[in-house]
Amino acid sequence: MPATVESGSAVKNSLFNPSGWRSLLIFTVLALTCIAGFSSRLFAVIRFESIIHEFDPWFNYRSTAYMVKHGFYNFLNWFDERAWYPLGRIVGGTVYPGLMVTSGSIHYVLSLLNIHVHIRDICVFLAPIFSGLTALSTYFLTKELWTPGAGLFAASFICIVPGYISRSVAGSYDNEGIAIFALMFTYYLWVKSVKTGSLFWAASTALSYFYMVSAWGGYVFIINLIPLHVFVLLVLGRYSARLYTAYSTFYILGTILSMQIPFVGFQPVRTSEHMAAAGVFALINAVALLKFLQSYMTKAEFRHFVLIGSSVAAGTVFVAVVGLTYAGIIAPWSGRFYSLWDTGYAKIHIPIIASVSEHQPTTWFSFFFDLHILAAVFPVGIWYCIKNINDERVFIVLYAVSATYFAGVMVRLMLTLTPVVCVLSAIGFSQLFELYLRDDESDKNKESGVDSEDENSDEHNHKMYDKVCGFIFHEYFFFLRQPGKLRKMKHEKLKDGTGGGAAGSLGVNLRSIVVVAMLMMLMMFAVHCTWVTSNAYSSPSIVLATYSNEGSRYILDDFREAYFWLSQNTAEDATIMSWWDYGYQIAGMGNRTTLVDNNTWNNSHIALVGKAMSSNESAAYDIMMNLGVDYVLVIFGGAIGYSGDDINKFLWMVRIAEGEHPKDIREADYFTERGEFRIDAEGSPTLLNCLMYKLSYYKFAEMPGDYRSPRGYDRTRNAVIGNPDISLTYLEEAYTTEHWLVRIYRFVLVLNFLSTLSLTVVENYFSVKKEEDFNRPEILRSDVQLKLPRVSSKKVSLGYATMKRKKGSIKNRPVVVKGKRPAVRTVKA
Amino acid sequence: MRLFVCSLFLFLVLMPKGALNDTRKKDGTSLGERVQQLMDTMTKRSVVRLNTDKFKQYVKALPRNYSMIIMFTAMAPQRQCAICRHASDEFQIVANSYRYSQLFSNKMFFGVVDFDEGADIFTSLKMNSAPTFMHFPAKGKPKKVDIMDIQRHGISAEAIAKWIAERTDVHIRVFRPPNYSGTIGLVTLIVLIGGLLYLRRNNLDFLYNRVMWAVLALSFVFAMTSGQMWNHIRNPPFLHKTQQGGVAYIHGSSQGQFVVETYIIAIINGAIVVGMILLTEAANSKTGAGDVGKRRIMAIIGLALVAFFFSLLLSIFRSKAGGYPYSKTDERREIH
Repeated sequence: MPATVESGSAVKNSLFNPSGWRSLLIFTVLALTCIAGFSSRLFAVIRFESIIHEFDPWFNYRSTAYMVKHGFYNFLNWFDERAWYPLGRIVGGTVYPGLMVTSGSIHYVLSLLNIHVHIRDICVFLAPIFSGLTALSTYFLTKELWTPGAGLFAASFICIVPGYISRSVAGSYDNEGIAIFALMFTYYLWVKSVKTGSLFWAASTALSYFYMVSAWGGYVFIINLIPLHVFVLLVLGRYSARLYTAYSTFYILGTILSMQIPFVGFQPVRTSEHMAAAGVFALINAVALLKFLQSYMTKAEFRHFVLIGSSVAAGTVFVAVVGLTYAGIIAPWSGRFYSLWDTGYAKIHIPIIASVSEHQPTTWFSFFFDLHILAAVFPVGIWYCIKNINDERVFIVLYAVSATYFAGVMVRLMLTLTPVVCVLSAIGFSQLFELYLRDDESDKNKESGVDSEDENSDEHNHKMYDKVCGFIFHEYFFFLRQPGKLRKMKHEKLKDGTGGGAAGSLGVNLRSIVVVAMLMMLMMFAVHCTWVTSNAYSSPSIVLATYSNEGSRYILDDFREAYFWLSQNTAEDATIMSWWDYGYQIAGMGNRTTLVDNNTWNNSHIALVGKAMSSNESAAYDIMMNLGVDYVLVIFGGAIGYSGDDINKFLWMVRIAEGEHPKDIREADYFTERGEFRIDAEGSPTLLNCLMYKLSYYKFAEMPGDYRSPRGYDRTRNAVIGNPDISLTYLEEAYTTEHWLVRIYRFVLVLNFLSTLSLTVVENYFSVKKEEDFNRPEILRSDVQLKLPRVSSKKVSLGYATMKRKKGSIKNRPVVVKGKRPAVRTVKA
Repeated sequence: MRLFVCSLFLFLVLMPKGALNDTRKKDGTSLGERVQQLMDTMTKRSVVRLNTDKFKQYVKALPRNYSMIIMFTAMAPQRQCAICRHASDEFQIVANSYRYSQLFSNKMFFGVVDFDEGADIFTSLKMNSAPTFMHFPAKGKPKKVDIMDIQRHGISAEAIAKWIAERTDVHIRVFRPPNYSGTIGLVTLIVLIGGLLYLRRNNLDFLYNRVMWAVLALSFVFAMTSGQMWNHIRNPPFLHKTQQGGVAYIHGSSQGQFVVETYIIAIINGAIVVGMILLTEAANSKTGAGDVGKRRIMAIIGLALVAFFFSLLLSIFRSKAGGYPYSKTDERREIH
């Protein structure tokens, strides 16, 4: 189905193209690209089932389902009282609705056509379908920048490159899946409008930008990159009426349109992130005015005028921006954007941003992992773009340089780098192949040579790899095919033979060796992409699979087991306390109220939960009572060795809690004297008695374990637990899943009715109960009052959607921070 | 450093025991006077410099209703304690932040004891290393936690402030005097560039030199793709000396990297790019240089560069990623 969708547009494109051969080849290659891209994203569906992955997608799915059920306007006005209890969340005003609207409208159209597809299936397959569209828009962009041949390379790179697959496998129903398409399409339209200077293309750019704004917070990248492009063009003296038309149209329409999204609102005119665009708009108008005046003035007058005018104008703008920022009319940079510039900022000031694994800086390993050979080759594209510079190549160079910077600062921004890497390395490769396959004497021999080689290696490959990797051959086939096509095109183009003979003089042998070597590298790239997709990016993370040595598979479905239990066995309005990672899943699958979730908009609420988890039971009891908790859910991986569990995330809970409650929670208390984070008998007593520890290891020592390891042996942290006799006073175990992965505790409602009783009654009650409950600490009168949690209006989550992707194995597994050892230390013997 | 260690040791051995015990000396000042004296000192400087007598007077003497944060250090040049100077700077920052903040009161003071001025204080406290930060609470004797563990926390001003907050509930917001060196550097650079442009204002062709811009852009890209930003944020060691005495240039895990490793990667990436460009230029007769033989050599060199360095890159990558490729280690790592 996706293939037909995409090939439809490809057909349309080819209709406008008079040359039949080329169109057919381009069409075939693009169709294959889309199919390959689509099918390589299906690992998870084939291995598991059609299921929504991870954390954020569950929220997106839930709100899509809500929108389909209740209609768009009800969705915009939706106040979700099931999240952030007791605060609630205004969903309509705090989401980028593009994703929901996209899949909702697909669902609507399909049902109009009497094709009934469950909304979940649309959500699951949305990202793979859009990957095909991304490939097409990358093709068009590269075609505008270089040649159609390079475009085909770029399309085939982007459809399988892991950096993009990581966010667009089937089931990963998230903003990025459609946003990368919108990003590339906007860039294509922008380049097109700069080239033509037509109002039509500029308006289309604005519309596409509008779609991008509705889909992803990363739109800020566009609204800064395009002005940067315009600015650099102005500096380079490349001002033209085309540029003026394109940018003015885009800026005015784009700003007005983007303000229609409720979540964005007045930000485009009020925040610093958008001020660059406004400044450039003023600048280009000033330049246009100067150009106009130039025709009326003498040279000397003009120079004088420019000097005075520009300094006055620059001064006014600068003072105005600074003044408005101080006056509070323009908001300063939000923390998340600020941390992109001052790289140490988040670590010190915003632990909740620093805690997310995808906000870490990027090692070279990640670059190579996500881009493989493209990471090494794309500078070649930059080189040639600068050597043969023109207006639109300035754009791609700026895009590449800024995106590499951002990708270096934050792992997740690898996603914005990936498309430009594909485009530029496509330029590099196509340049090379164009030259090395250009050959007039032995054109026919060569073609048959390539074909037979193609088949041979295809067969060879079939023996080597299993069927799952089948789609590689599409890629491989395609890579080999393409040079043939390119040669043809080049051959046609360069019939006059300016370079043909000279390139030929390198010798057939040398040229074929080079070609084969390059093809080998590309083949390795295809294999690498498949491997990475299959192994690293295709786990739904709510269903875990483990493989025995013989290769047989064992499914661990504890998460869904627990969530289903919650939905069946708890009261409709029960409130579940868990760490924020699981909020969306509890709401999406268990359909229960949560305290905190992945939206992380309210740091103090999260800190309160973190405080409850890291305090001892009686202190936690107060917090839980204040928050009206009915159940507590913890993820515990010690029984099966699952590394992404709550104990491993625990230090972040402590840190976040410490940020808001420095008097009650101290990170140092959770370390041993020697500064280690240990859960065994040597661990710090604070840790061994905190709520999270108790809930994780409750009755764990009684669990009949492996005969090889002692009782109470934690397989994730490879240690025997230090506090085996855990008794709980205010909580009781409600449910533990098959592999102990999820543990649910019921809050014993001893005191929840207190607020309605007079305190004397309470005191009597205690005096009666005191003898029985010897284990229960006395509750003082002063403690028995309902405190509402302090709610700060500080909004942590702006910008890029929300934090997500705490995969099974968390990348930033809390490593014990030992601090810097002083380089020189004078120690007496 | 060793000199200092030895001397301190010798000193302790030779130290007459009797002199140590004789710490009880008449102070002759009341609590109010002492606080007043301290406050007076505070108007001049934010850290009180203590010798043996003053230490007894202000810190040892009871009763005391203020707490003291003392840094024990050895600043004399002959001690060769490089870290002490650094620690002292950081301590000074904390003390200044405290002195000029709203929090400042007569409940807490900062002091410093130099080994050469109060060696017997070191011995009486059984202190055997410098620098050491110690908190003397207003009530009771210092406990073990009142000595800051600089092995673990480091000696940055923030760490000291955090430790003080833990011990005394005084939350000092560290205010570093703004570091103008960055700004000055930037201004100098701009002036230099501006001056250069002005001097060569009649010949600005070099600005249109695309090769220069391309090289600049590529160097930036290589720096980023080789993980320099990670180095900047995480400060990894330059390289690692293994216990066998060997030197590891490549970090064993995929989560980390050494500084030298990133340089290697940047060079490899650069070599691959140079190889690709050589290959392209060799085949391009329009821009390619000269005769066929020369171009052929260019092509061979280019191919060799690409092939060799790409396989090198791949093998470094493989050494860091366990079981790559064709294996399922990733999933096994998740669930044992």
